[in-house]
Amino acid sequence: MSLEKARKRYIPMSETMFYILFSLKQERHGYAIMQRVKELTQGRITLGAGTVYSSLGKLESDGLIQGVREEGRRKIYTITPVGSEILCEEVARITELYNNVKESL
Amino acid sequence: MTDRKIVLFSAFRYLLPSDYENWLERMAAEGWHINRFRQWSSIVMTFRRGEPKRYRFVYDPQVSPRKEYIATYEQFGWEYLGRMASAHFWRMEYEGERPEAFSDQESIVRRNKRTIAAVSVSFSIFLITVLVVGILLLFFADSLSEIDRTQVVVAEGFFGVITIALGTVMVFLRKNESR
Repeated sequence: MSLEKARKRYIPMSETMFYILFSLKQERHGYAIMQRVKELTQGRITLGAGTVYSSLGKLESDGLIQGVREEGRRKIYTITPVGSEILCEEVARITELYNNVKESL
Repeated sequence: MTDRKIVLFSAFRYLLPSDYENWLERMAAEGWHINRFRQWSSIVMTFRRGEPKRYRFVYDPQVSPRKEYIATYEQFGWEYLGRMASAHFWRMEYEGERPEAFSDQESIVRRNKRTIAAVSVSFSIFLITVLVVGILLLFFADSLSEIDRTQVVVAEGFFGVITIALGTVMVFLRKNESR
């Protein structure tokens, strides 16, 4: 998927997709992603197996992540350059949101 | 007291995946267990009596799951129960907080859309059949004997009813895709 199409599909991004994509800045399999997100959010978000599986499938078919190897029946994923760019743009968007309202809160 | 309970057409009684999961959970809480789902479980399902248990069930439509599908769920602690047509079934015993396989609204909607897609395949097949039989009746009825014509009309009615039923199911699922 081209960067332009990825922008249209993923920005703004759901919290689940954001954390899965962010977790894959380091190579991980599905269960490790859930653990990392739980740790990052201090237990607020516990991703389910179906959510992780279907999100990984969507992100991979859209070219934001890619499989790097298999360990037994587990597949290890990492973020792609397109995924990294989308993640950076989403962070910039969230930062702008925050900066725009922080004075008034 | 009987130790078996046979349920017919369960998939037609609980159309929404979440309703189906809740029904299986209620059955398990009453001590009725199913340990294996098969291709025809939607038609005939046999529960066996056991200890009442708190199980969370998951109904996950996946036509062609990727290689890591089973391993991903198993790592999260789910027990695989098999598949019924394109729907895969999982369960997990729990205490306290009820476990969720679909942890956000977006993936619940995606799961329900996969269910709608599965029904739409059957709907399309029956709709095409109704159209073909309708064309046959419209243009070639005169060349058919009375017996053949009656049979074709009965078949058209039968397929028509199923098509309408599947269409109604699709509308219902679409209206409730966020549940």
